[in-house]
Amino acid sequence: MGESHAYDVLVVGGGATGAGVLRDLARRGLRTLLVERGDWGTGTTGRYHGLLHSGGRYVAKDRLAAQECISENRILRRIAPASIEDTGGYFVATPADPDDYVTAFPAACLAADVDCEEIPVAEALRREPALNPAIRRAFKLPDGSVEPWQLIESNIADARALGSDAWSYQRLVEMEREGERIVAATLRDERSGSLTRITPRFVVSCAGAWAGQIAAMVNVSVTMHPGKGTMLIYNQRMTDTVINRCHKSSDGDIMVPVHTVAILGTTEQRVEDPDQYEITRDEVAALIREGENLFPDLGRMRLLRAYAGVRPLYQPPAEVTADALKDGRQISRAHTVLDHASRDGVENFVTIVGGKLTTFRRMAEDTVDLVCDKLGVTEPCTTADAILPNQVPGKTYWLGHRLAEHEAEGGGDNGLLCECEFVTRPMLDAFLDRHPGCSLDDVRRGTRLGMGPCQGGFCTFRAAGVVGERAGHAGAADVAELADRAILGFLRERFKGTRPIAAGRQLQEQWMISGVYGGGLGVESLIEHGTPDASGEVAGAQR
Amino acid sequence: MTIAELIMDASEEAVGYSSDECLKCNVCVTVCPVARVTDLFPGPKYVGPQAQRFRTGHAQPVQVPGAPFMLSPDVTVDYCSGCGWCTSACPAGVKIAEMNSQSRARMKAGKRPKLRDWGLGQTDLVGQVGVLFSPIANWALANRPIRAIMETTVGIHRQAPFPKFGRRTLQSTWKRRQKRRGTTAAPGPDRAVVYFHGCSANYYEQHVADAAVEILRRNGFETIIPEQVCCGLPLISNGIYTDARQKAHRNLDVLAPYARQGYRIIGTSTSCTHTIKAEYREMLDLHDEDATVVANATWDICEFLLDLHEQGKLNTQFGRLDEDLPYHAPCQLRSHGIGLPAMDLFALVPGLRAADMDHDCCGIAGTYGMKKEKYPIGMAVGAPLFEKIKASNAPEAACDSETCRWQIEKATGTRTRHPIEILLDAYRAGDSERLAARGPLAPAGT
Amino acid sequence: MPSADVVVIGAGLAGLTAAIAAAESGARVHVLAKGHAATHWGPGGIDVAGIPAASTPRDGIRLLAGEAGHPYAFLGADVAAALDWIRPHLAAGGVEYVGDLDTPLQLAPTSIGGTRRAAILPAGQAAALSPWAAGERLVICGIAGFKDFWPEAIAASLARARVWDGGNRPASVTPISVVLPGLAGRHNLNALEIARRFDDPAWRTSAIEAMARAIAAAPGSGGRVAVPAVLGIRDHAAVLDAIGGKIPAATFEMPLVPPSVPGMRLYAALRAALIRAGGRVQIGEMIERIDRDGRAVTAVVSAAAARTYTVRAGALVLATGGIAGGGLVAERDGRLLEPLLGLPVEAPAADDWLAVDAFEPAGHPLEKAGIRTDAELRPVDADGTPVFENVRVAGSLLAGQRYIRDRCGDGVALASGWRAARSLSAVPAGRAAAPGSERP
Repeated sequence: MGESHAYDVLVVGGGATGAGVLRDLARRGLRTLLVERGDWGTGTTGRYHGLLHSGGRYVAKDRLAAQECISENRILRRIAPASIEDTGGYFVATPADPDDYVTAFPAACLAADVDCEEIPVAEALRREPALNPAIRRAFKLPDGSVEPWQLIESNIADARALGSDAWSYQRLVEMEREGERIVAATLRDERSGSLTRITPRFVVSCAGAWAGQIAAMVNVSVTMHPGKGTMLIYNQRMTDTVINRCHKSSDGDIMVPVHTVAILGTTEQRVEDPDQYEITRDEVAALIREGENLFPDLGRMRLLRAYAGVRPLYQPPAEVTADALKDGRQISRAHTVLDHASRDGVENFVTIVGGKLTTFRRMAEDTVDLVCDKLGVTEPCTTADAILPNQVPGKTYWLGHRLAEHEAEGGGDNGLLCECEFVTRPMLDAFLDRHPGCSLDDVRRGTRLGMGPCQGGFCTFRAAGVVGERAGHAGAADVAELADRAILGFLRERFKGTRPIAAGRQLQEQWMISGVYGGGLGVESLIEHGTPDASGEVAGAQR
Repeated sequence: MTIAELIMDASEEAVGYSSDECLKCNVCVTVCPVARVTDLFPGPKYVGPQAQRFRTGHAQPVQVPGAPFMLSPDVTVDYCSGCGWCTSACPAGVKIAEMNSQSRARMKAGKRPKLRDWGLGQTDLVGQVGVLFSPIANWALANRPIRAIMETTVGIHRQAPFPKFGRRTLQSTWKRRQKRRGTTAAPGPDRAVVYFHGCSANYYEQHVADAAVEILRRNGFETIIPEQVCCGLPLISNGIYTDARQKAHRNLDVLAPYARQGYRIIGTSTSCTHTIKAEYREMLDLHDEDATVVANATWDICEFLLDLHEQGKLNTQFGRLDEDLPYHAPCQLRSHGIGLPAMDLFALVPGLRAADMDHDCCGIAGTYGMKKEKYPIGMAVGAPLFEKIKASNAPEAACDSETCRWQIEKATGTRTRHPIEILLDAYRAGDSERLAARGPLAPAGT
Repeated sequence: MPSADVVVIGAGLAGLTAAIAAAESGARVHVLAKGHAATHWGPGGIDVAGIPAASTPRDGIRLLAGEAGHPYAFLGADVAAALDWIRPHLAAGGVEYVGDLDTPLQLAPTSIGGTRRAAILPAGQAAALSPWAAGERLVICGIAGFKDFWPEAIAASLARARVWDGGNRPASVTPISVVLPGLAGRHNLNALEIARRFDDPAWRTSAIEAMARAIAAAPGSGGRVAVPAVLGIRDHAAVLDAIGGKIPAATFEMPLVPPSVPGMRLYAALRAALIRAGGRVQIGEMIERIDRDGRAVTAVVSAAAARTYTVRAGALVLATGGIAGGGLVAERDGRLLEPLLGLPVEAPAADDWLAVDAFEPAGHPLEKAGIRTDAELRPVDADGTPVFENVRVAGSLLAGQRYIRDRCGDGVALASGWRAARSLSAVPAGRAAAPGSERP
């Protein structure tokens, strides 16, 4: 932490939006601090579908959202190619999809400037043979898949190079309001417990689904309608193309290839607390049934885990309808910038809600435009033009790159700490260097360690061993506790995702790993019942 | 092949679906003969189901100026010998060896095949030419300087075990024989079988074919030898799938009519018969009726004889062979999943002390061990087997696969023959014993 | 088609025990297995009953036998006989076991810095078990470049009292790392690779010399030494001898993640014993179906290239493992199936399979799922009626045990394999019941 805590702007919430706001503010000359209670992208950003929208999903019902999507789609390809896989997308009409929607689809795309080309069904099936052979029509759109953490880190890196800061594991615990201004904010270091007081000129909340909690700190009411969406991760890419059903959005109608896996989503369920939700077996079964409209053999394919993200849905109070409360899908996905000056009488506070990852840069631009207006800053936004750090123009992500790079160095299992996802020791060291004191779950997000079929079975203790080896200089007790939390927390976290889908080969995998850890490795002896581990879980606690 | 394409392979033996079964348990790595001896090969788990998740077909990287255009991210899978032990030992049913074969083909697709790989696949061409010029060809292959040049230019190791070309092909011998006999209608499928001789019996080891024909005759079966070409396995192994399919179609066109009439198709090469039984469908994606009906009708000759025995129909008039016989079960035999029929047949021969050498692989793995960079690996893989055979001091050894025989014979100096040649010796010994029992110069009628 | 008096499906500890015992009593035995599972994953010990409340394995058997539905209720008495019988077979295969049912259960340190309760271990691991004298130290000796063993993390963890339940433990735990010849720069290195090198006498000598030097120089030396379980595979006994000759400290192996070298040694010894007894093992057999006639199994049919491979069976031992071994399959709709014979499976409702917490102290209800049998190990239906007369179930497929939590899997496997063979040798009409061969 810097000596000087004199920041122009404090941005709360380290997801894509927060990172985008940080970058934009920094580029316009404002010294900004971004804070995040956990690791970067652990809110909605980190639990989302991985989709780079073409906008095709919105052309019929929400043209504004569609236009924003396609515009940002093109921009992100230009400024962040390394975070994007150019998978392309198909919108396909399955037998269950009504004709009228499909017929109107191409025109709706045109009206929203979303590239849409109808292709022969035979061609779609040739390129993606796992698709339902009974599909009636197929359209090609520029969907892609995007890797959010790299995106966030690139934005932060850009901002840091310009003199701004970003601190993770700093939870905003209090804001002091005097009359119509926020005068100070207190941050608590989630690892050490120490407190830091910041006195920014302006506060921007990018806390997404948690925006209500942040605003409440200064007696401002922002009612969020958190919408849980469950997704299923398949072990293999049965498709290399993003596949959407060409119909009115519903559950389980989209499959996205993301790195080595394919993700089927999603559902929509209102939850009260964005930190408390459950995924049930029934929910999983229903999702699979829907997914079988796209891929008839889905039932045979191996599921790795289920996870859920909570959408930051917002509808201004006057417009909240009973329908919208029940069916979150009716709430607009377009974003809203809440000017708390006019709305709530707090002059130097703005909240950005709604939106989607694809449009994060635009959301940031709209937000920062307002902030700069209030601060009298006239610098224009440059985030759409400047390519993010460490990116090669046009060089998008290639699935094979980790294997190819490793093979180019002679290949072999020895260099791989996580064999499933080809994570090497140098990769892990580099990440740990950049994120001191992080958890293994942070490592997972940053490197993909533990995201493969064994779900951490073979790499957890290796990563913990590396952490222990590096921290060895810090003293024995710390090393041990670190390694414990690493192993136990990580295994617990992985188990959470496996539990709702426990069946077939993945259950067998889980059982084998449990047998190894519980048997010859004696993992039970590491548990201190009653104390939390890195996942924040207390052994035996219900979630 | 994209992952999706693999997954949607319609046959039950679908390789692609099986990649989903992997538990990452490393059992396959423990049984891999190649990983055992060289650091160049990371083992079946790495190049199989682990790498499989990183292969994609159509999503090619955007062409970056100056950077190489990569279609396949693989390199080390080239060292997989295709022996199939991994698939056997996997508790979850992952078809690892098959997956590796496909990714090797993928690695080579879109590039012109290496002359060597192409050449090793052209067994018919090499065989025809070699037989035509057999004295020179045999001399050349035994000539050290020429072999050294071959190694440098074509990449076939100078020590790679090559058999000798015969003076004529089995096909031409057979055709002559049929001509002499005149054309008669072939007996029905209960009294005749079709013989798939394979390249080795056709060009190099006619004596194996002779043994097969005689053994079949002694068991009441006439032999039909139709026109046929190489089964295509060397082309499959070297990733030249298009040419392999051409061979397959030519063979299926000839064999299918026989199979449909109920004739069994007998082979003396466990590699050829496995190719027809399994690889035409699994590797070459041929799922038509011809491929299926021919596969179902194909039998390894020892498998066939043992089946006769289990029906009580085998001619068991074996005489006594008093010898120790080391036996090596080829990898391709294990892939058949039929146990070790040769050992069960040997057990019927009095005095024959056949011993299964219980070793994983002799190292030749088809054409793998002949290649310059793979030869040392093959020899290291087979070393314990060679030691065991030499230590047995047995006069000869037995093995059902031709390339294994050549490898073992060259490495140990021990004559190595097909199991049916041993059985034929036993039949002949039986003849002699019965003749001797009748007494010398016994008058007719006694 | 071939035929066997006893077909055993599954080549784990239970299956091979049953097979060896049956073969020795004169039966023609055919073992068919899809591949290698538990043997190549497990730590290679003989866990009979490692529960905290028990003082010895025998005590543990008694306690577990008192739990409703535990197989020890009817198998407990067979553990001793099975253990005594199998030990010489394993010793003949190069694996000696130390400890017996009356050896006190102790905590042995593990390769993730934890501890596990054990009493009967292979000789190579046994030095972990004797109580720690006052001031006795432990050195954790890793191998440079080997990624499955991290001495610093292990030592730091084992230095804590709570990992040892606050009880007897080493006075200090010191990590060191040794550079062994020829391993640097390798692209591939796993436990088996190192173990194979230890089999080579020349390499072994220089490796052990390097280890001895490093251990002698370690600040915390003078007590015991823990190494990863890589001490040879074929010549393990010779490696132990060499270590004993060069390293004064009592040295023990710590099992690792799969592939388990101690487990593979155990498998090799069992397989050798079976072949000596005249049995046959075929790995790579995918069973397609099992033919039956009324309540008797008649043949086992496995997949072969372009056809099936049938073995006629006089009797069948089903030792296919539980969920981990693939003997029990969990369907997405919540059913737990035994796929080969379709035996009725005792299991909780799907929503109750797994506790919410991965490390739930009471365990996961699914752990006890399996096949319920009578005292003769015949699978039974809900009424307790045998489903088949000539089938015996053995190993982790049996219902009522929590083999991970209670560390009873090996004891159940041995006892049930032993009992299954004896039960079958007494069964067929017309065949004289052959007594199990006794060994001194």
